[in-house]
Amino acid sequence: MGIDVLFKIAGVGILISVFHTALKQAGKEDMAHLCTLAGFALVLLWVVQLLGQLFNTVQDVFKLF
Amino acid sequence: MWLKIIGSIIIIFTSTYIGFSLASRYAERPHQIRQLISCLSALKSLINYVAVPLPEALSQCTCGLVGPVTDFFHKTSILLHNGRLTPQAAMDQALKDSKQLVFTQAEREILTSFSATLGSMDREEQHKSLELIHEQLFRIQKDAEIRCEQNVKMYRYLGVCSGLAIVIILL
Repeated sequence: MGIDVLFKIAGVGILISVFHTALKQAGKEDMAHLCTLAGFALVLLWVVQLLGQLFNTVQDVFKLF
Repeated sequence: MWLKIIGSIIIIFTSTYIGFSLASRYAERPHQIRQLISCLSALKSLINYVAVPLPEALSQCTCGLVGPVTDFFHKTSILLHNGRLTPQAAMDQALKDSKQLVFTQAEREILTSFSATLGSMDREEQHKSLELIHEQLFRIQKDAEIRCEQNVKMYRYLGVCSGLAIVIILL
């Protein structure tokens, strides 16, 4: 866990926005939305892992189990 | 570390290349259709007014042009000259052999239906069928130009960006 995951997410965000614009200009709105959804799912996958780590840390700190 | 950087550069270059080659297919198509139209109009005048035999007419109609369309007509002409093929069979064979043509199914069907009338009907009928094919090809050319405008930019962007996306995901 470091700062690099934040940069990764930012990079994916920028690229997905470029994908969306390019596909929308070519008249493929459905593909553009699908692409955005795929990017969102990818980022969610990373974020969910980090959230899991956070919850584990909280449990460890407060001795909740 | 260096291995990662070199791999990333290779991935980005490859995906950019794929994107640009897909874009060039779309950019090439209107150009080839335009060449086909000019070849067919030359063929029309060669059939109607000069009345040369078909193999010679097919090789003469590409005068001044270069590219895959020219090769296609030359191949058809050579096949007609050498083998004992009908014009339809020769054109089908040349269409299959010319790998550099980026024609879609629509143009291929038009060419096949045109080759069925080629050399088997009289001059007026051939003239009529050529005019019909001209109209169809003009329509297809307009459609191809619109698609070219839309898709060329998109494929270039997508090529570069997908390479970057893969690199970011794998990093």
